[in-house]
Amino acid sequence: MSGAQPTVGRVTELVRATSNYLRDRPRLRLFVLLALPVTFLVAIFVIPLLIMGWYSFLSDMPPASLTLDNYAQALSTDLYLGIIWRTTVITIQTTVIVTILGYSMAYSLVRFSKKATLLLVLVILPFWTNYIIRMYAWMNILQSGGVLDTLLMWTTITSEPLGLLYTQTAVLIGFIYIWLPLATLPFYASLTNMDPNLIDAAKDLGAGPIKTFLTVTLPTTMNGIVVGIILVAIPTFGSFITPALLGGTDNVMIGMTIEDQFVSTFNWPFGAALAVIVSLFVVTAMLIALLLGTDLFKQQGVDQ
Amino acid sequence: MSIVTVENLVKEFGELVAVDDASFEIEDGEFVSVLGPSGSGKSTILRMIAGFEEPTGGTIVLNGESVVGVPPFHRDVNMVFQNLALFPHLTVADNIAYGLKQSGVPKAERTERIEEMLSVVDLRGYGDRKPEQLSGGEQQRVALARAIVNEPEIVLFDEPLASLDRKLRQHMQVELQRIQAETGITFMYVTHDQEVAVAVSDRMILLNDGRIEQIGTPEELYDDPVSKFVADFIGDVNTFSGTVRNVVDDTATIELLGATVETTIRASQAPMITEGETVAVCIRPSQLSVANGVESGETVEIAGTVENRIYQGDGVTFMIQTDEGRLTVEDEAPYDIGDEVTVTGSWTEAYAFPGGD
Repeated sequence: MSGAQPTVGRVTELVRATSNYLRDRPRLRLFVLLALPVTFLVAIFVIPLLIMGWYSFLSDMPPASLTLDNYAQALSTDLYLGIIWRTTVITIQTTVIVTILGYSMAYSLVRFSKKATLLLVLVILPFWTNYIIRMYAWMNILQSGGVLDTLLMWTTITSEPLGLLYTQTAVLIGFIYIWLPLATLPFYASLTNMDPNLIDAAKDLGAGPIKTFLTVTLPTTMNGIVVGIILVAIPTFGSFITPALLGGTDNVMIGMTIEDQFVSTFNWPFGAALAVIVSLFVVTAMLIALLLGTDLFKQQGVDQ
Repeated sequence: MSIVTVENLVKEFGELVAVDDASFEIEDGEFVSVLGPSGSGKSTILRMIAGFEEPTGGTIVLNGESVVGVPPFHRDVNMVFQNLALFPHLTVADNIAYGLKQSGVPKAERTERIEEMLSVVDLRGYGDRKPEQLSGGEQQRVALARAIVNEPEIVLFDEPLASLDRKLRQHMQVELQRIQAETGITFMYVTHDQEVAVAVSDRMILLNDGRIEQIGTPEELYDDPVSKFVADFIGDVNTFSGTVRNVVDDTATIELLGATVETTIRASQAPMITEGETVAVCIRPSQLSVANGVESGETVEIAGTVENRIYQGDGVTFMIQTDEGRLTVEDEAPYDIGDEVTVTGSWTEAYAFPGGD
């Protein structure tokens, strides 16, 4: 009675017994399923967040006493409020432009192209090159007397070099370039999911092309638009590499300031306070935007 | 007065001729179905009338005016789509209101007409629901209401009942007829299901391979088919090849399976059925009967074996394997699978078409 056969038999039996035991206990089953991922999330996401929250109330690197000074300083200094304002403006600009461009791109891919899959691969292609390398390429293109200037002057569109590098426009171009493919994907997905007969139905009921787009296509693809906007707006708001490389010192964004507090100034409590403020700001802004956005389209459905 | 006049309509997709020289008229208040197998061009005709496809040739006149080149949103035509295409983000009431809003009907009148329409389609109190909260049959009615509330010249149906189960489909057929009678709007109904077409329509347009085979009432198409295709599509037929021996008045003597039978020739076929001609003789399953394997004294007797019997409630359909191929026979005879039988027929009721089998 020795050998592999009885062992295999016993294991099979054990597995069967366990699954029988779990079958009638849905709560326990859910716990077993979720235990690992939840532990993982708590360990690498929730705990660090709590630690950062705790740091933001410290007067100095630990051990130190608790204080609200960091928040007071952040919210009363014009410099930081100005940076947050500039970050907000550039985030909104980026999001609006990327949404319009990305949606148009996805729309033409879905509606007018017979090789949508191939074109979609081309859209994703830039991701295969490292982000930093692509940013350096843009520095090369945008700098005074760089590729762009040379081209514009050669075609006599401009007579003097624009020298876009280290301007807010350069940062904007960088952001649009980086996020456009990412935003196009959810737009594409929602447009593909939409039943093309809905467009025919709207036209059949007397709606012209623009009316059809506004009352049918846009609202039925709203989910994809919201996902795309979130995918672009949140990382743009926290971004620090692109503005550092393309914006220079005149176009500081809040992500750069926070990074600075942690890496150069070593004022972790103040950096943490800024990070908490930014997180709350972004979450609140997103919630308001979502509420307004869905409301707006509900309204349009009922009473345009 | 004719609401739709289609003349010499042609639609080509590259090499493929989807609709080939179709001409017909639809009268005001008629319920016309366009019937044909898949790929026969029936949906293409519908989409050309709705304005989603432009014809390659020919004209479409809607209520006295040519609509060729007029976009769908400027045509006084509404369509019920195959998958219904209800707007998922709008309520039932807003779906129905969509067309009225586009034509600028004021809000008070809109509300009134939506309420009225909901009661016509038997969906009172459903206005605030979303399409996804409705059953298949209820969604059909919303789609119908969304089309007829605009009081168009004609409502086009692109097989919207195809996805329903048999019971619900039959119920919706009756509903369609009731609603059409109530509103007096002209209906044009595309389907590949001859059962539906026969049940609902005043007239039928039967298409085959892009061409119109026959236009007529369901009775005309069933009793007086102009071709083997029509006879086969509207109800079943068994087809044999025969040779015309002679024709006296409206009776042809045809040599068939080594014997002769006498068949009444339909007026539409008379010019083509002449002495010496090879013809296809088509006979309905109900005109054939099954007997024991003994001689019954009929002129044509086909020996065979019962391959299958399908109980139909009020009778039995036999599939009988013979040397002439498999025959379909409707009879009440008590035979079982495997029995050796003889098939006989009342051939005067058969159809003869030129061109052999």
